[in-house]
Amino acid sequence: MDFSALNDALASKSYDQIADICDTLMLQVSSQGVVFQDEWPYAIHLLGHIYISDINSARFLWKRIPLAVKERQPEVVAAWNIGQKLWTRDYAGVHEAIREFNWSPEVQGIVASFSELYTKKMFELLVSAYSTISTQDTALFLGLNADDAANYTLQRGWTLDPSSQMLTVKKQAVATEQKLDSSKLQRLTEYVFNLEH
Amino acid sequence: MNLNMNSVETLVAQIHGLSGSISDINQLHSLLKQSEDLFQSESTRLAPLLTELDPFMHSLGYLYILDACTSAPISKEQASELVLSIARFINLCAAEQIRLAPDKFTSVCKRFKDQVMLLEDPMQGVAPMLTAIRKLQLSSEHLTTLHPDFLLFCLLAKCYKPGLSILEDDIFDVDQPRDFFLYCYYGGMICIGQKKFSKALELLHNVVTAPMSILNAIVVEAYKKYILVSLIHVGQFSISFPKYTSSVAQRNLKNFSQPYLELANSYGAGKISELELCVQAHNEKFEFDKNLGLVKQVVSCMYKRNIQRLTQTYLTLSLQDIANTVQLNSAKEAEMHVLQMIQDGEIYATINQKDGMVRFLEDPEQYKTCEMIERIDSSIQRIMMLSRKLTDMDEQLSCDPLYLAKVSL
Repeated sequence: MDFSALNDALASKSYDQIADICDTLMLQVSSQGVVFQDEWPYAIHLLGHIYISDINSARFLWKRIPLAVKERQPEVVAAWNIGQKLWTRDYAGVHEAIREFNWSPEVQGIVASFSELYTKKMFELLVSAYSTISTQDTALFLGLNADDAANYTLQRGWTLDPSSQMLTVKKQAVATEQKLDSSKLQRLTEYVFNLEH
Repeated sequence: MNLNMNSVETLVAQIHGLSGSISDINQLHSLLKQSEDLFQSESTRLAPLLTELDPFMHSLGYLYILDACTSAPISKEQASELVLSIARFINLCAAEQIRLAPDKFTSVCKRFKDQVMLLEDPMQGVAPMLTAIRKLQLSSEHLTTLHPDFLLFCLLAKCYKPGLSILEDDIFDVDQPRDFFLYCYYGGMICIGQKKFSKALELLHNVVTAPMSILNAIVVEAYKKYILVSLIHVGQFSISFPKYTSSVAQRNLKNFSQPYLELANSYGAGKISELELCVQAHNEKFEFDKNLGLVKQVVSCMYKRNIQRLTQTYLTLSLQDIANTVQLNSAKEAEMHVLQMIQDGEIYATINQKDGMVRFLEDPEQYKTCEMIERIDSSIQRIMMLSRKLTDMDEQLSCDPLYLAKVSL
């Protein structure tokens, strides 16, 4: 099995391509009748899907993994654990699942990168969904302890009320592009022409 | 018999000789068609000849011989070899050549499908079948007999993403009605699996409203899923059929899906406890139809619908009130539900933990951005293309002799 494309992607940290590369390779190898299940990098494959937030595909991949592999490779189970927490929207559980396993060197890069990405996404979710939120809950969402969580948010413009331990969210102004250009005029002409005929 | 094998050898030589230009290939094609019986009679001895041919340069000849070889019954031991050799042929063959004999190519692929199913390794068939479709198709708008087989492989192998890529093509040409029914039904299931409910609804709708003179099992099952997906995606289900639905479907479908219609009724009433009672009552039927997963999704959607309905009446509401109205267990649960809906873009709201309140907001979309203009643009382009296609079809139909005969009477 030729894993060069996968190795290149891992080396260049192009983690968003891992899922596609693994999917294509798996179908190719399977169509050649090769029995690949024992050597397949299932943990990386699962994490590839998780990295691009395709939990549906991660779920179906998990269902395809043979029981023997699940029993022999705890890292595969740990990778799925992250996916499961994402699936059930156990926001704090995702951080725990990342932290509680001792990841192998091949996988550490993508796990660390995902952890950063996830924390950022959680922060953006909090900004869009909350006007005030307790430091405790913020800590759970961001996977940090209460003080670090408070600092993280304060650095980004939030304010803290120490007596109630409530953080006030700073909303970000949404910049939208509204410039039109001349090609739109061309298109409008086409539409009018089409409607007239 | 030797005489026959000599003739076959001669044919092989001709395949070598006549696989150059298009006129040669056409000549070869007639020769091969005339030699069908010869191939059939020697089917058991043809396999070694394949090694003398190149699957790309001599695709047509290779196809005829492969078709004859595989028409004989295959033993289990031979099955895996056969599957590999057909897969190899599919990957290497020249599309222009095999399109001259589409029926032969289809029957070879069908046998491939049967053998793969016997080997119980559907994933093995996914990649080759996709290649086969792309080579057989005259355009991406053409639905072949292989489409549903491919989607079936995707479903059985739990490889849904390749299936989605095929489903993105718009279909305008259909070979066989049965293919269309199966394609839309399997396609609907794949979309459901990937949570693309809008596309799933469209496909299932096509099955239910397709022209038919008698009911078939595919339509019955599709209708059940159609009801469930409609509840999940649209939040309601209307039992009246569109005008273009066949009368046989309109009269009979409801008889086969009573539990589902009751579920839809219960959903419409809006009370979670009643809905769950309904699910319990028909649990066995849903499980037998393998629709229990979808039914559970319908139930969890009910919470969402009820919360969404609140936004029409209230500007702000406490989390506890939301929990009470929607029949959730606690304010914290209500908070999590609202948060998930905000994350999925199903509601515009801000949660205020300090006061335990939720403020409902207006949709911030102003429809003025460049992105929105692009979307509207591409929709208009698509409709213009469809409108042109419709005009073309109308013109073609008005020249059709059958139509003219009916109209002139």
